[in-house]
Amino acid sequence: MKKTFLIATLASALAASTGLVPAQAASEGILTVATIGEPPTLDAMQTPTDIVLMIDQHIFETLYTYDAQWKSVPLLAAAMPDVSEDGLTYRIPLREGVTFHDGSAFDAKDVVASLTRWMAVNSKGKQVATIVESLAEDGPQAVVIKLKSRYAPLLATLSQASIILPSEKVADTLTEFVGTGPYALKERKPDQYTQLVRFEGYKSPEGEPSNYAGKREAIAKEVRFVPVPDANTRVEGLISGQFDYADALPVSAYERVEASGTAKPVIFENAGWASLNMNMKEGVLTKKELRQAVQAALNPSDMMLAAFSDDRFFSVDASIFPTGSFWHTEAGVARYGEGDPEAAAALLEAAGYDGTPIRLMTSRQYEFHYKIGEVAKAYLEAAGFKVDLQVVDWATLTTRRADPKEWDIFITHSNFPGDPTTINTITDTYPGWYVSDQKAKVVAAYMEAASDDDKLKAWEAIQAAIYDDAPLFKVGNFNAVAGVAGSVGGYTPTYWPHFWNVTPKN
Amino acid sequence: MARIARTLLNRLGGMLIVLAIVVTVVFVIVRVTPGDPAAVMLGADATPQDIADLRSKMGLDAPLLVQYVQFVLGLLKGDLGQSIFLNQPVAQALAARAEPTFFLTLFSILIAVSIALPVGILSAVRRGTLFDQIVVTLTMVAASVPSFWLGLLLIQVLAVGQGWFPASGYGGPDTPFLVRLHHLVLPAIALGIVNSALITRFTRAAMLDVLGDDYVRTARAKGASERRVILKHALKNAMIPIITVIGLSIAMLVAGAVVTETVFGLPGIGNLVVSAVLRRDYPVIQGALLVVAAIYVLINFAVDMLYILVDPRVRL
Repeated sequence: MKKTFLIATLASALAASTGLVPAQAASEGILTVATIGEPPTLDAMQTPTDIVLMIDQHIFETLYTYDAQWKSVPLLAAAMPDVSEDGLTYRIPLREGVTFHDGSAFDAKDVVASLTRWMAVNSKGKQVATIVESLAEDGPQAVVIKLKSRYAPLLATLSQASIILPSEKVADTLTEFVGTGPYALKERKPDQYTQLVRFEGYKSPEGEPSNYAGKREAIAKEVRFVPVPDANTRVEGLISGQFDYADALPVSAYERVEASGTAKPVIFENAGWASLNMNMKEGVLTKKELRQAVQAALNPSDMMLAAFSDDRFFSVDASIFPTGSFWHTEAGVARYGEGDPEAAAALLEAAGYDGTPIRLMTSRQYEFHYKIGEVAKAYLEAAGFKVDLQVVDWATLTTRRADPKEWDIFITHSNFPGDPTTINTITDTYPGWYVSDQKAKVVAAYMEAASDDDKLKAWEAIQAAIYDDAPLFKVGNFNAVAGVAGSVGGYTPTYWPHFWNVTPKN
Repeated sequence: MARIARTLLNRLGGMLIVLAIVVTVVFVIVRVTPGDPAAVMLGADATPQDIADLRSKMGLDAPLLVQYVQFVLGLLKGDLGQSIFLNQPVAQALAARAEPTFFLTLFSILIAVSIALPVGILSAVRRGTLFDQIVVTLTMVAASVPSFWLGLLLIQVLAVGQGWFPASGYGGPDTPFLVRLHHLVLPAIALGIVNSALITRFTRAAMLDVLGDDYVRTARAKGASERRVILKHALKNAMIPIITVIGLSIAMLVAGAVVTETVFGLPGIGNLVVSAVLRRDYPVIQGALLVVAAIYVLINFAVDMLYILVDPRVRL
């Protein structure tokens, strides 16, 4: 007993002194993960949806990744980049000794080939491509990116969906999914399972695990992602022991899972935020005063309560980024709080609102979108708007919102990206078409920012511009509820749930 | 013989016309429905330009007539097309999902028939008794219960409560065939019970129709046993509507187990159709519905053929 204690103490001391995390014993166990559906593809560059990113992060890795503060830290990169004085040249050193699942060595050639494809097919990558002067190898273990102008979110964009593949596997349409991640793809049967197996040759980054950063250990022999579209079935499957993890559970199932004795619910706070996005290109809401009237009319607390039932599962916060985030700020907040129909009515009158109905588009595919829409309609009508609530399926909504003639407001949700300027609404081309001089000016100032403090100040100006221009109404932050089997150890909730460092039941 | 051959040819011609109509109607409906596979694939963050680029890459920006002609030409060559979402041939996607649907249909119909025939016959024979009244009430309840609700109830009681069956899915990569079939027991019970209600009511009604007929009375007068009267004389003559409803139930199970397959997470054809509709995977919707329509037509044809076997007086 004394000997065991001594060994444990020595191991802890060694870990503390080196900053390393003690290795867990590899397990022969399998983790079965119930997901909300089938990924459309495993090509995260082409289709960077949550379900794809959730699975892909086990197979592929990016140059950088997000730590617990959502700051970019090295993953396949060996260190933070060397940035030139003018902020236009980034030299990124690469880790040595990393191999792909097919046994080939990872080097600069793979990075250049992968990022070239990423800049051609990925929406964020395309934005980056417009400011990239050149991308080149600098020997086998480094790449150099030269920019036409400063671009503050570069590392954030290199931390998500910019996955690195062997150069010979890079193609217009990916057919082989070979990465450097802790798990390798073994088999995918659409609508049945995606089977990943431990990559024995995996070389992990070092450091304390923090969000997606730090040491990664493939403890489970296999991770199986099983699509289970019905939320109740995910709950029952978790409780009966069929699944080790069930994603995206309804909040109403929280107590049932907690009381089951076989599984426990887990909450990931501030998983995302819901918003009403307004059409600034065509229709009645092109008038800024009317968009501000929408802001003034709405009551975010009631909308979030209707959508999520219980304040354990949401928070109402005017700051676009939640409390605890580096980007959280109250700067520029206006017309957000209890819902003020008088103030909204005054704005309506000042704008000369002629009673044209506002087409408010929402979907039942995300039930909380629909509930938010119902409450929004009531508040907008109380303020004097006429509202045409259009409930369509998500596929219809995404098609219609691309046409500015079809809608005035649509309801959606987003996650909190690593860099605030990668929020969709800030993009000129995103449905809503938020184009304004003040936005362009403050975003340009952000791009020039070099230090974190400068970036935060610039972001405060952007948030103030968003509240004044009113391209959207932020409703609130919501938490994600999932469930983990009681026999599973080491699971830490993250936005895209990951299963390295997780111990399955034997 | 020549008459039968002519009848078969006529039926075949009719079936082809039905399938041609189905192909065209489905093609038009899926394309006039709002929604875009490219937008669904790319997710909420996609810009209109990204969506337009992917549409172009997938050939969805071609004129509708061109797409239709390509689809029909492919069909004539036996090619159902390529799934947009799954990136595999539609025929391959359907084949991969045929096994759970086939066995689910088989088990469900076996459960339904093995409940419905004896109960329906007994209920008719004992018309007006307490047993008959219980059967009439229970079948009404069972016919009214949504199969997904029954499915969730079975999951809660028999999978979660007792742990006798898996709650969902069709097994993993190393699951043996018999264990995969074990996954089908609960959904088969859910569907079997709901379908048994309809078949029981038809069996009861058909038996009541014939039990009062002269030939049944004559058989009894000739001293035939009650068992022989019911099974040999009455049931045989009541079989045509019963076969019809069983045939329809099978056809509906192939296409109609949609909700049950979704609730139980079964990767069957019904689940594929639902997913394809939500994803706007046009080739899969077209291919799956064409195959389902073909099965439907073939089952109806088989039922018609059975009429001749059961009752030689029937002329097609």
